[in-house]
Amino acid sequence: MNGSGLVVEIQGITKRFAGHTAVRDLSLSVRSGSVYGLLGPNGAGKTTTIRMIMNIIVPDKGRVTLFGGSATGRDLSSKIGYLPEERGLYKKMKVFDLVVFLAEAKGVDRRSAKHDAHLWLDRLGLSDWEQKKVDDLSKGMQQKVQFISTVLHAPELLILDEPFSGFDPVNTQLMKNVVVEMARAGTTVLFSTHIMEQAERLCDSVCIIARGQKVVDGPLAEVKRNHGGSHVIVAVEQGNAEVDRLLQDPSLVAKADNYGQYAEVELVEGGDAQQLLHRLVSTGARVGRFEIAEPTLHKVFIDLVGREAAEARAEEVKTDA
Amino acid sequence: MRKVWVVIRREFTEKVRNKWFIISTLLVPLLMASAIVLPILLAERGGGHRAIAVIDMTTTEFGLHVTDRLDAAERVTATRIKTEVVDMEETADSLTELVGLKRLDGYLVVSDETVEDGRAEYRGANISSLTDMQAMERLLRQAVLVERLDRVGVDPELVQRAQIPVTMQTIGIRGGKLTDESGEARFFFAYTVWFVLYIAILIYGVQVMGSVVEEKTSRIIEVLVSSLRPFQLLAGKVLGVGTVGLFQFMIWGVSAWVLIRHRDVVLGVLGIEVPTGSGFRLPNVTAGTLAIIVTFFLLGYFLYAAMFAAVAAMSSSEAEARQAQTPVVMLLVLPSVLLIGLLQQPDSVLAVTLSLIPFSSPIAMPVRWAAAEVPLPEVLASVGLLLIALWLVTWIAARIYRVGILMYGKRPNLKELLRWVRTA
Repeated sequence: MNGSGLVVEIQGITKRFAGHTAVRDLSLSVRSGSVYGLLGPNGAGKTTTIRMIMNIIVPDKGRVTLFGGSATGRDLSSKIGYLPEERGLYKKMKVFDLVVFLAEAKGVDRRSAKHDAHLWLDRLGLSDWEQKKVDDLSKGMQQKVQFISTVLHAPELLILDEPFSGFDPVNTQLMKNVVVEMARAGTTVLFSTHIMEQAERLCDSVCIIARGQKVVDGPLAEVKRNHGGSHVIVAVEQGNAEVDRLLQDPSLVAKADNYGQYAEVELVEGGDAQQLLHRLVSTGARVGRFEIAEPTLHKVFIDLVGREAAEARAEEVKTDA
Repeated sequence: MRKVWVVIRREFTEKVRNKWFIISTLLVPLLMASAIVLPILLAERGGGHRAIAVIDMTTTEFGLHVTDRLDAAERVTATRIKTEVVDMEETADSLTELVGLKRLDGYLVVSDETVEDGRAEYRGANISSLTDMQAMERLLRQAVLVERLDRVGVDPELVQRAQIPVTMQTIGIRGGKLTDESGEARFFFAYTVWFVLYIAILIYGVQVMGSVVEEKTSRIIEVLVSSLRPFQLLAGKVLGVGTVGLFQFMIWGVSAWVLIRHRDVVLGVLGIEVPTGSGFRLPNVTAGTLAIIVTFFLLGYFLYAAMFAAVAAMSSSEAEARQAQTPVVMLLVLPSVLLIGLLQQPDSVLAVTLSLIPFSSPIAMPVRWAAAEVPLPEVLASVGLLLIALWLVTWIAARIYRVGILMYGKRPNLKELLRWVRTA
């Protein structure tokens, strides 16, 4: 693996289907070792983007670069674990044979495929079911088989399309543990979801898209900071008049609630928390607590995508007229 | 190409392990064996024995002669019942009753008119047996002939000599040399080639279709195309199912050969006496003929498998695919039906045309080859045209397949299909 290089780099990809544009001029990059969330409401173009990354469909415009080279997702299938949104298995095949076949299709040689299949089936508690037909398995077990075939070949890049929908809660937790473990071991993870709580807990970077276009991307903390971060909790020892005056400065503070022990301050739009801290310190007061209360990713998402959707609707009305 | 091999192996092992494959593979040799054993068994177990009465109203010895002739025939016992013309209906009534009781198979009515104007009557329960009736008529005809000649004073010895039958044996000529196969054997062989190729191309083509539809409906296709190129998948699938077909036909071919060649052993095991003289001659299958059959089977199968795969890729469910396959099936069925009428005229213009058109040639050419001699340039032209068509059809089918396997919902119309082919 190439240290801190880019594992996935997308430059201005566009995909049109009959009648509508699924993805428009989208760029993003995923750094090696990161856990990257591709977020957006249903129909935003997440699956289309992922399919273009996998070279299952070819973009009309733009370029996808994987591992810094020109090879496509299919050529690199031995390095990529892909879990599509539409999941399926050969119902009539024996579990073990199927897992081995899917690994071989990715370019793993037969012997290590067999070895790893035993290992993983055992790890996820399916070793008694190896010789059963997929059809005889419960839905939850089939989901495990699906997941095993995604990770069996120890991929360097995991691409998971809506991994947390369709799986039952127990399997979701199990899967999350495996993904987190692999991420800790250095595997790059790119996954799409519309459930922000999941993304918030797992991702270090995100890209939010809506209607096929990027709304925002970057490290999670940065995204949150830039889209919120306007609430600050302040507690000073031995407050003075200057502090009180500062907290009422309308050029910086929109609203301040002093609870005695601490004050919750809402900054004006565009107000910089760092400036507030600096001026607080220069009053000579001892700052005991200064905390930027971050908004949840969910709030950021609703704020941005809600606004985006509203704008798009207005646009539609305009073009219809 | 290692990935194509992986797909071939999966396709082959899954199909061969399927219980229907095992059942059909075993059932066919069993059917062939019973086709050999049953007729002999039936003939032996007296199923063919006939008890016949002859109502003799003649004033001469003719009735006696007829009875003797019938009685002398194989598997027939004949009893003569002498009657006056006036009592005939009464006798007939009681005999009809006996037939009803299955004590008698039937009765023949002969009178003086039989010799005069050749009129006789047979009433029986076994009149639908064409061979029985023909044999009886032939015997009667001979008896009448002898009687008539005898009446005009021809020497009986001369009559006997005049009756020595003529049998014409047919011997085929192939490559300017006499062969030892008869016309019958050759026709039978051509018919078998027709039947086997028609069934094989249809069955295995439809299997490819089923396999593609299964991947679509189970949605595993998305995982597959993320690691395999659609063309690798398609090629692996077609080759895998084709190998299954060859494998199954090899089993059938070998068992048929063994069964016919060692018929005596099979019959011996079952404790059946081997009938003499009625040996079934194995058709003369040369290596060249086998090569022609296999070549055309493979090319024809590839051609139709590609079309069936495209049909499957356009459909979202098995039911839909079965509907959409009709044009492809018709393309195969129509010329095949035409061809069966041409088995006896393998050199007619229509037969030659069918053996050159790529969609019918995979069956027509081997059938012509089996039935008669075909000039080598015609064979080569047929293969050439077939290869061109195969290349073209595969190119189009692969493009439809590539787009279609990820499409769900409404089946595309012709305009959309053309766009798929152009943009893929």
